[in-house]
Amino acid sequence: MITEAIKCSRRAIIPYVTAGLPDMETTGRIIQSLAEAGAAAIEIGIPFSDPMADGPVLQQASKQAIDSGFKMEALFEHLPGWAAQCRVPLIIMSYINPLMRGGLAATLRRLESSGVSGIIVPDEPTDAGELFQLTQDVGLDLIRLVAPTTPTERQREIVSQCRGFVYAVAVKGVTGARTLMPPELEDNVRALKSLTDLPVCVGFGVAGAAQVDAIIRFADGVIVGSYLMERLMQAEDPVAAAREVMKNLGGELSEDI
Amino acid sequence: MKGSFGEFGGQYVPETLYPALVELENAMERAFGDTAFWTEFDSLMADYVGRPSPLSLARRLSAHYGLEVWLKREDLNHTGSHKINNAIGQILLARRMGKTRIIAETGAGQHGVATATVCALFGMLCAVYMGSQDMQRQRLNVERMRLLGTEVIPVTTGSATLKDATSEAIRDWVTNVDTTYYLIGSAIGPHPYPTMVRRFQSIIGAEARAQIMAKKGALPQAVIACVGGGSNAIGIFAGFMDDPVELIGVEAYGNGVHSGASINFGIPGVLHGARLHLLQDGDGQVLPTHSVAAGLDYPGVGPEHSYLAVSGRARYGLVDDQQALAAFALLNRLEGIAPALESAHAISYLETYARDHQGACVIVNVSGRGDKDLHTVLEEGL
Repeated sequence: MITEAIKCSRRAIIPYVTAGLPDMETTGRIIQSLAEAGAAAIEIGIPFSDPMADGPVLQQASKQAIDSGFKMEALFEHLPGWAAQCRVPLIIMSYINPLMRGGLAATLRRLESSGVSGIIVPDEPTDAGELFQLTQDVGLDLIRLVAPTTPTERQREIVSQCRGFVYAVAVKGVTGARTLMPPELEDNVRALKSLTDLPVCVGFGVAGAAQVDAIIRFADGVIVGSYLMERLMQAEDPVAAAREVMKNLGGELSEDI
Repeated sequence: MKGSFGEFGGQYVPETLYPALVELENAMERAFGDTAFWTEFDSLMADYVGRPSPLSLARRLSAHYGLEVWLKREDLNHTGSHKINNAIGQILLARRMGKTRIIAETGAGQHGVATATVCALFGMLCAVYMGSQDMQRQRLNVERMRLLGTEVIPVTTGSATLKDATSEAIRDWVTNVDTTYYLIGSAIGPHPYPTMVRRFQSIIGAEARAQIMAKKGALPQAVIACVGGGSNAIGIFAGFMDDPVELIGVEAYGNGVHSGASINFGIPGVLHGARLHLLQDGDGQVLPTHSVAAGLDYPGVGPEHSYLAVSGRARYGLVDDQQALAAFALLNRLEGIAPALESAHAISYLETYARDHQGACVIVNVSGRGDKDLHTVLEEGL
């Protein structure tokens, strides 16, 4: 489902939102408005107290969501409604500890039965075979990350245990908008694409329509997280802001096609 | 899984770090198999750190508790704690790997000072992440690090203590992985760190075993050490692992509301790259911790300790803030030794141990000296 959604989209943009910010009801409306404004799929982040792969914006988002009372039970209550209303695949982004707390297999099964299509785990074990098997068993796509530092041999191994799309990490470092993308990104993505039939989407550091435009020329999709969340957190009306940012990211592109 | 201790340990890291962990593991294995590496390590231990550290019979403390108490004096090392053993080992490894910039996390500041010291000694750039709350309560160590030419970077995120300093150091490492070596200070983190740190700290246990055999001609009944991440404990335990000796770690019970006692009160989970006992809520969010000893103020514990606890080879007791402060005062008055507040937790456990073990011979690891804590101790009204 995720693979098809990206392949069917002429310009696949995958926005990321932290769940529970400012509250679960608003998160639902933000997801709806992102879907209506043309998102190919939507990444929903489970807030975590110690997000070691995240920069300041998503750290802050996590903290605020937890401080405002985010609970896993509330997420499971809301997910089926979100999935039913927005008609684009929902992907859960979570550090491994919140997924393990209720039992990894049981949590994955609950996510799947709540309408989630795939998961991304930024601190998955370096030997992720068991996690991959668990996701296969319950029918979730495990979207795995390939970093700028990942050797080719390991890239092969990762894409063979990956479903949905391959997440190409654009920069060495944590999440957060960057003014410049590294010059070798295009070559890296092209090399990665030669190893797999799965779509390759680029995330970490993507900021603004111009960068999306540049990346989408060689990648199958773009993930936009911190850039979007920073604007949502500043906005008086985050639902309207989500629509606005999403339109701006896609709008400029539609002229370019 | 690779680098696991039973169900604990492993490698849970952002993918960007994967090659760095492989590189580190390979370098570690080559170094550990190289006698030249150990010759240099041993000579620095002797001539720079001042090892072997003494094993002192604490006569008045023994009489006080009705025990035979021997103190392993890591407080007498250069820089004032056991942290220097690991810092020397890892800086030698970093140099072999061609790294030029060192980063570290610190809680009490002892590991920060040890790292800043070896960076000065080897002419390396050094940045130390430290929680802003810890910077206040350990100001002396902050100034020492700065004098040594290290940049101390305040961490204000989360609880602004050791946990957050560790997260921030990992974020720096992910960003600067090509040039930077992460010199982790405790037996925590992803494989190969817990194994490597244990190996460097095992000099404590090897010495202590040889010393007690030479001085007394018999093994002790128990070895007691404080456990935050647990590097001083795993180091001294290593010397007695195969002996019929009780191994007792002492966790910080804190102030009765929050503690740092992950083995006693935690549930297995993943923090900072490894599976271990973790103080967490029902949703897997890491809980706030507290200890009067900044070095024990941590929600996780080295994965090998989790394994030793579950397997029953070691057991883990509890000492709260007030008991640790009282032990700090007691060791001052009875032995003329000011222990670090971390080490004071281990001293304090003697009171519990003495109840059922009158006359027993025990070794307590005095992992560091307490000059850095005078400020805190005075504030607490001792």
